[in-house]
Amino acid sequence: MASVGHYDELRGKPSRTDGSAAADSNATNLVAGDEGLTGAWGQFFSKSEAQTPADLDLRADSLQRQIRDNGVTYNVYADEEGPQRPWSLDLFPLIIDAPSWNRIDEGVQQRMRLLEAVMADVYGPQNFLQSGLLPAALVHGHPGYLRPMHGARPVGGVHLHVAAFDLAHGLDGNWWVVGQRCQAPSGLGYLLENRLAVSRQFPQAFQSMRVQRLAATYRALMDSMKSMSPGGSNAHIALLTPGPYNETYFEHAYLARYLGLSLVEGSDLTVRDEHLFLKTLQGLVPVHGLLKRVDDQYLDPLELRPDSTLGVPGLLQAIRAGNVLVANAPGSAFLESPALLGFLPALSRHALGEELRLPALPTWWCGERSAMEEALPRLNERTIKPTYPGSPIHQGFEAALGRNLSQADLDSWAGRIVRQSEEHTVQAYMPLSQMPTWQKATTTGRMVARSVLLRVFAVSDGLHANGRPRWRVLPGGLARVAGTSADIASMQRGGSSADVWALTHGEVDTTTMLSNTLTPAALAQRKRLVTSRAAENLYWLGRYTERAENSIRLARITLEALGGEDQTSVPLQQWLTQMALASTLVLPGVPTAVQARRVFERSLIASLGSTDGATSVGYNLRSLKMAGASVRERLSAEHWSVILRAEEELFARCAEHTERGDYSATDALRVLKSASDYLAAITGAQTDRMTRDDGWRLLSIGRHVERLNFLSASLARGFETRSVETEGGFEAMLALFDSTITFRAQYQQSRDIAALIDLLVLDRDNPRSLAWVAHTLRGRLAKLAGSPAGVLATMSYKVPDPDTWSLVALCEHDLDSTRPPALMALLGSLVASAFAVSDDISTTYFTHSGDTNHSVGT
Amino acid sequence: MLLHITHETHYRYRPAVETAQHVAYMQPGNHAAQQLLEHTLVVNPQPAQLRSINDVYGNTRCFFSLQTPHEVLSVISHSLVATQPSIRVQSTMGWEKVRERFHYQAGATFDSACEFVFASPFVPRLVEFGTYARPSFTPGSSLLNASIDLMQRIFDDFTYESQSTQINTPALEALAQRKGVCQDFAHIMIACLRTLGLPARYVSGYMLTEPPPGEVKLVGSDASHAWVSVYVPDLPEGARWVDFDPTNNHWGWHAPGPDYVTVALGRDFGDVSPLRGVIHGGASHTLRVGVTVRSMESNTLPSIPLIPTMPAFGSPSQTQTQSQSQSQTF
Repeated sequence: MASVGHYDELRGKPSRTDGSAAADSNATNLVAGDEGLTGAWGQFFSKSEAQTPADLDLRADSLQRQIRDNGVTYNVYADEEGPQRPWSLDLFPLIIDAPSWNRIDEGVQQRMRLLEAVMADVYGPQNFLQSGLLPAALVHGHPGYLRPMHGARPVGGVHLHVAAFDLAHGLDGNWWVVGQRCQAPSGLGYLLENRLAVSRQFPQAFQSMRVQRLAATYRALMDSMKSMSPGGSNAHIALLTPGPYNETYFEHAYLARYLGLSLVEGSDLTVRDEHLFLKTLQGLVPVHGLLKRVDDQYLDPLELRPDSTLGVPGLLQAIRAGNVLVANAPGSAFLESPALLGFLPALSRHALGEELRLPALPTWWCGERSAMEEALPRLNERTIKPTYPGSPIHQGFEAALGRNLSQADLDSWAGRIVRQSEEHTVQAYMPLSQMPTWQKATTTGRMVARSVLLRVFAVSDGLHANGRPRWRVLPGGLARVAGTSADIASMQRGGSSADVWALTHGEVDTTTMLSNTLTPAALAQRKRLVTSRAAENLYWLGRYTERAENSIRLARITLEALGGEDQTSVPLQQWLTQMALASTLVLPGVPTAVQARRVFERSLIASLGSTDGATSVGYNLRSLKMAGASVRERLSAEHWSVILRAEEELFARCAEHTERGDYSATDALRVLKSASDYLAAITGAQTDRMTRDDGWRLLSIGRHVERLNFLSASLARGFETRSVETEGGFEAMLALFDSTITFRAQYQQSRDIAALIDLLVLDRDNPRSLAWVAHTLRGRLAKLAGSPAGVLATMSYKVPDPDTWSLVALCEHDLDSTRPPALMALLGSLVASAFAVSDDISTTYFTHSGDTNHSVGT
Repeated sequence: MLLHITHETHYRYRPAVETAQHVAYMQPGNHAAQQLLEHTLVVNPQPAQLRSINDVYGNTRCFFSLQTPHEVLSVISHSLVATQPSIRVQSTMGWEKVRERFHYQAGATFDSACEFVFASPFVPRLVEFGTYARPSFTPGSSLLNASIDLMQRIFDDFTYESQSTQINTPALEALAQRKGVCQDFAHIMIACLRTLGLPARYVSGYMLTEPPPGEVKLVGSDASHAWVSVYVPDLPEGARWVDFDPTNNHWGWHAPGPDYVTVALGRDFGDVSPLRGVIHGGASHTLRVGVTVRSMESNTLPSIPLIPTMPAFGSPSQTQTQSQSQSQTF
């Protein structure tokens, strides 16, 4: 099966046949057991339910379907970023027999002890540096060494809670360490998904083969983090993710759910007095531990990369103060340099008094002259790797495989290595072992050998009785399978993955995570919390929805008024101009509708779908979509798809017309009509298809704050310009309040100002009247603040009380003015109250910076 | 000399900043030729939390945070410092020998100055810097003489131009332009030394600009200043750093002169920027920075410039990081 020169996983020995010729062997003769399979693989195929290639094809299909279906569920966030790479999983697991697994387990645990000792030394006395066991270039010269963490002892005493080791199966049958990931290794979520999907395809084999289960390891990690954190066994632990645009976000969400952690982004958290908190609508909730998937450099913009928006300002202070456990302690990235591997054997003898049980590929760091001199002559048999991969302050390069290079290339590499010796690390080349994979074909599938790299994980497991930290190795892992000819398994380069079955001679551990996550208390806790970030996005979703609706209505009214056969009156033109400027439907500096009606009209049409300066309909729809995208999980599929279509269609149609140069007012009105229909569907979904929790309440408050501000200001302008006294202006005002039909039903063809004020300001049945808006807003604010029914909250009183308004007072005129002074004063105070409420909401619920702000929880 | 320094920073935000976290490097340190006699740091409004700690290099850094909305922030640091003239130091150690000392060999003696040989965020090691430095670093020349020559060349070759660079101007760009401000010159000189494998660090501080009688007034007026410190291994242990100011062509043991005040040292500007913060809210701001260095006999007070920026309104508030963008542009 496997190609010559590779270890053959199926047969447990180096392959002697040529891979391409042997690739014709199919499952049928494998199951017949004729080709000297190892005991474990023989058992797998004999116990497997799938006995024919057709069976395997069916299972491969089922597996793909399952991954795709789950992917659809999990990758809902992807639509902002273009195509999401689907997770690729092979049908067969990589099987590792019990003796081999024991050696891996022991070797990895030993390496964890060593790496922890290196961390403790580097961030403490630095004896390893002083005694010359570790070059400063790999610590002080590595961007992953974080000076602000020097001297800080991690709470609980352990730096490394999660680490991954990439292992290759050599021709000698040993597993060799190729590299290690100590910062925020990925895979712990994907491998769970792999296990669920693959074990379901081979239930009998899985049950009968004593495959060690995974859940106990995850449970151990959680228990360990909690017990070492300042919160103890009731600690609140969160998973810190860079957010939905991170390529492994699926895994972050999946892991958080599986482990029962809050999934948080940096902006969800805040540091107060060197303690970490989650910002929620209910207040600040203490966080005692973070499982981080954000790279160290981005953790704290105050002390690390200042341009990071993924971190939490002040986090390092909280960590140094011992008030939060972070897994892993920031500053472990330097351990990931391949150059370090060459120094670990001597460090192990020095620090542990032991030889390393799991060997690493021979590695030469060229910054040491003697190592460089050893490495250079046989570059063609080796791999050249960057000492500082991904470093922003070194010239990066891709790893190069000597055997693929021409003599000229090799010479030029040698030159580079001599000039910039510290930046180059040379590693022995070892062919990867090959495992069977099932490749679907047009007719029936067949078995093909593929190179495989095994990633195993160690997690912290509390302390030994003697107080020393303990780790356990996840019995399994993530097998990364190379594409057709690749030597290096990497998902980015079109590779795939496989489940890993570690067999045991002992008991199969049937611990489960479920009992832990589904306690009623835990459920109640999670249901109650609405994070401030979600709340803020919901609030702005409400405001932009209302803003979009208002701008569409205003644009339609304006185009209809200007395009009419009748000469529009000057006061109405003034009102429309002021309104368009205030809502930035036109850019400042455009001639008014009074001065140049057509120029004004064209400018308004041109701005509809533009995003350069004008914040017109298109801009508002886009902002609505952005706010919606960040609370995507709260929106029904229909709701979200209408939001997407509304934005896409408006921009597409505006672009189309602009390109053709025929964007007439009639076309614009058609575009606006369609956008208006979408908005009706969006607002309908917001009213009818969302859970009415505090998050929804904020959305509603956002809409009402925006509406109160917009309508009050519009009405005031109508009186100031005297537009409401004209026939067209009167009608336009009714239309802007979406109240034309109601008005006609009550007052027929009247143009009575008192009737107008009654309907638009005082009518408690009209959802656009200011009294209705103010009343609703006062009630929602009270409910949000947790006030009992019928009792208002402090913030409610910032909005004028409609019960004190009377039609007689509001209609009163001064002799010398047509503007009713009481009405104008009321409108002014309504606008001011919208601003005041908005500011208060922000400080109280989003940034928690209000004076009355307090912490909840312990 | 007895020097009094006032370093004032005033921010005005629109709209108000809701929460803010800052870190300040404004407290001068002590060394053989400098003693800090008094220091106060006054922050307004009163911070919710304030704590001073020493960083890994021994500099004092002061963290403070504000958790209530504020439209103004002022940070005023007063320091009183005594300085002594530096002794003209002698060293003959060849620069190649120094370089060799910092080349790793298993089991070799460790010198903690090696930390300042490596590239850092503002100081990459690039062949361009080596090329520029080479004429000063002739075979066999002493590190001290070669550094003096390099400083002299930067002083001669480069134009001081206060608006020519931003705080984030990479040293390479300033090298190509042959112009910049004190911070650029310091970064360039450090990059030259490190590219050759020699340890050099960044010093932030102040300089008295009042001319001593009979001498020409130095470039610029009172401001934060920055210069370079070079490690000379054959000097007595604990006193091996010699300071070079390529902006003014001054050098000396511990400090370029008695009219210099050392505040903090690090790998580059990023380690020791005088005031750095992360604010939430405050879409736009105006900043006013004023530094006054007085010899206790004199009383000159400089005017403080105002730089207005445009306000913005009506969108969700954002978190942003700001470095004090008017600092160290001497």
